[in-house]
Parts: sequence; structure tokens; C-alpha cells
Amino acid sequence: MDFKHYLQVLKDHTPYDFSNYSDNSIKRRLQKVIADNDLSIDELLAKTQNDKAFVEQLVEDITVNTTELFRDPEEWPAFYEVLLPALKGKKTFNIWHAGCSSGMEVYSNMIILNELGLLDKAKIYATDISHGMVRKCKNGNYRYEFNKRQLQAFETILIKHPIAGISKVDFSKYFDIDHEKDQITAKEFLRKKVEVKQHDLVQEKSPFYCKFDIIFCRNVLIYFNATLQSKIYQMFHRQLYPKGAMILGSHESLTGFYKTKFKKNGPLYVKTNAFHYKYH
Amino acid sequence: MIKANYKAVVIGGSAGSFSVVSKLLSQLREDFPLPVIICLHRLKHVRSGLVESIRLKSKLEVIEPNDKQTIVAGKVYLAPSNYHLFVEYDNTFSLSTEEPLNHSRPSIDNTLSSAAYVYRNKLIGIVLTGANKDGAKGMKDIADKKGLTIIQDPKTCEMDTMPKSVQRLIKPEKVLSPDEISKFLNQLAI
Repeated sequence: MDFKHYLQVLKDHTPYDFSNYSDNSIKRRLQKVIADNDLSIDELLAKTQNDKAFVEQLVEDITVNTTELFRDPEEWPAFYEVLLPALKGKKTFNIWHAGCSSGMEVYSNMIILNELGLLDKAKIYATDISHGMVRKCKNGNYRYEFNKRQLQAFETILIKHPIAGISKVDFSKYFDIDHEKDQITAKEFLRKKVEVKQHDLVQEKSPFYCKFDIIFCRNVLIYFNATLQSKIYQMFHRQLYPKGAMILGSHESLTGFYKTKFKKNGPLYVKTNAFHYKYH
Repeated sequence: MIKANYKAVVIGGSAGSFSVVSKLLSQLREDFPLPVIICLHRLKHVRSGLVESIRLKSKLEVIEPNDKQTIVAGKVYLAPSNYHLFVEYDNTFSLSTEEPLNHSRPSIDNTLSSAAYVYRNKLIGIVLTGANKDGAKGMKDIADKKGLTIIQDPKTCEMDTMPKSVQRLIKPEKVLSPDEISKFLNQLAI
């Protein structure tokens, strides 16, 4: 099957437009979904046009939902080294986790903010394209065994490289642990703190009325082609306050025009006020 | 010198391959004319260290590429920890955090297969020592596209599962010791 034809059918019959995802990655994901579901092309096309639940599951399956608590633990102290002075001086600040998946990074960030005594000042927003992931992020409910490994990461951040003098913190301060069910659930004060919405970045507009001090978008835009990436950077630039910061994945970098509109400060891309002449 | 029309070298390795790769890069000549793309299994949470150690010995610049970075001849690219590394048709890399393949992220099959589709018969694929079968399918893809396939001689491997699983799928064109691999690469002229 020509996957571009399929993406067009999907775009015409559902709210989802994957046509500007990078060719190879979307092709790979589609092939996986087709194989996992054991579908013929005709069945796939029929279900796409008639079966809403199938489409929701498809969106969840073709998007990559890898996330973990404190992913890249060595980077978090660096984020906050740069962010902290500015955040401390603010009365309130807004953070958007764009493409939050099941929300583990959202909770990681809230835990760090709480340890820094900054959570009360923060407004936390999170979005994902998949309704299923939005539900998971709201529920803050994860597998214990998987996350047990991340405890080490948690300690790396909080103990081995203390941010602003954080001392040892017990994991159970933030999660209820059910060993029998192999589950952890984020405490209610964290779950209540975050506003989670279904939202597709491809629409190139923010689903919130406010501007942001920080936008986390880690390992999301790597699945988009360069043209779409550039449009998303433009949208983020618009949605950030002056000197607001964008945080990308550890192996993502800005290319093209928007490279000049952000200044790299450590692992952060900070919105600049630089004035650019129009040449044409 | 052998005049040959290759565009890239792609290397996969696992258990025991670090010292082989270090040695290989210390032996490759400074004006090596191809990009060298390397995918090694590594500990998930040991992010730093590997690239630094490999740099110590290498005469060529060693880079952990970013997403959409352009591939340049004469440079060594090492798949970053916890990402799959793919070669794209526009001669750039792409990264992905998709689920592990063969229990690995990065997965050697992913890097080798994507390179096979892009470089076709102008690719040299090399699989080194390792304790699992990641890389075998990728080597088959390289062979199917008429690329050149080389495995480290199982007799010289710390763990021979990986090159042997390649042999189960295809007959590699060359079975070489680490020294023979660098000797072979060094006599390529483009």
C-alpha cells in the first residue's frame, strides 16, 4: 500500500493529519500497526473510515509513547541551573509539556519543582495527540517494576547532583505504591495540579490562552519532517514569554530560520528579543 | 589501493566490541574517505563515557549525531544512547525513541537496514563480536541490496553469537580479523 495514500484517507475521514510526519518513521509505524492487527489493506481502510475507537487506538499505536520518570537524569540539574534564577523572581509561571505521552516527565518535573519550593507558583499544562495518553497522564498511574529502575535516576538528580541543596527524598512522598498490582499512582496533589488536554501539534496553535515561561517538548518533533518542525518552533516562539525557554530532547537541535530566534543556553533554547529585518 | 564506489561504512557490535571499535578507529587512516556509522549496544543509563573513550583513540572526528544532522564523509557517527539511529534518503540521520528492537535501543538492525535502503550496493556493512542476534537481519538487507558484507571472524570474537547469526542468514563476503578489517578499509580509495 502507498502509505501516503493511506495518510490522505486518514486526514479526510478523521481529525488526524500525519502527512507531515517524516516519511520513514510514519511508514515504519504504520507497517507495525498493520502487522500487529493482522489487517488487510481493505480492512484497514474500512476501519479507518467507520470505526472511531479503532482510529483512536491507531493514533496511540503509531505515535511513539516512550517516556520515563526522570529520563536523562544527568540533564535535569542542568535545566534548573539555568531556569532557577528567573523562576525564583516570578510570582507565577506557566509550563507546557507539549506531547506529554503518559505524563511521566510531567510528574518528574512537578516533583522537582516541589522540592525546589516552586510548585505552588507553577501552572502546569500538558497535551498529547492521543486521548488514551491524556487519560493516562491524568491518572498518573504507572507500572511499579518499570519505574523502580528510575528510582536510581531520581536519586541521581536529587542526591548525587543536588539542585539547590535538595536532600534525600522518599519516592513514597509522591507516589502511592501497590506492590501486589505492580502499580504506582501519583499523589492527588500532583494529579490535581496539572491541566491535561487532548491536542494535536500539527494544528500549529496552542490550546491554551496563556503564554508560557517553559515549554517541554522532548523527543516529539523528531517524528516530524523539517517543514513541520519549523512551523512548530514558530508556534512555540509565539507562545513563549520573552526569555521563555524551550526544552528539547538530548539529541534534538534547532535548524533553519528559527535557530536565530532562540539563544542556546546550556540545554535550553531561550526566546530572544532579537529584531530581524525582512529581506524581501 | 582498491578503487571502489562506496558511500558509507556501517558497523554494529555488542559484547566485546568496544575494544575492537577503538582499535579499528585508531588504525583507520586520517583521510578515510567515507562516513563511518557505528551502532553499539550499551548500558541504558551510562550515557556519557563511551563517545569520549572512543574519541581518545580515533584519528577521525567522532560525533553522536542529532536528529536530522547531515552525514559527512570522513566522520565517525556513534548511535546515541537510548535512541534508534536511522539513515534517511536525504543523507541525514533521524533518531527515534520507538520501542527496543531485539531488546536493544539503539538496535543494530534498524541502523543497518535503513543504511541498506539508502546506500544500496554502495554500502559496506560490518558486524563485530556480540552476544545476541541483533544485526543479522540488517546484514541480510545489505546483502539483498548487493552491498558488501563483512563479519568479524568468530574465532577472534569475545562473543561469537552475533557474527554467527549473520552467517545463519547469509554468506558474508568477507570473514576478517579486526586487523584485517582496518587493513581492508584503509586500502579503499574513492
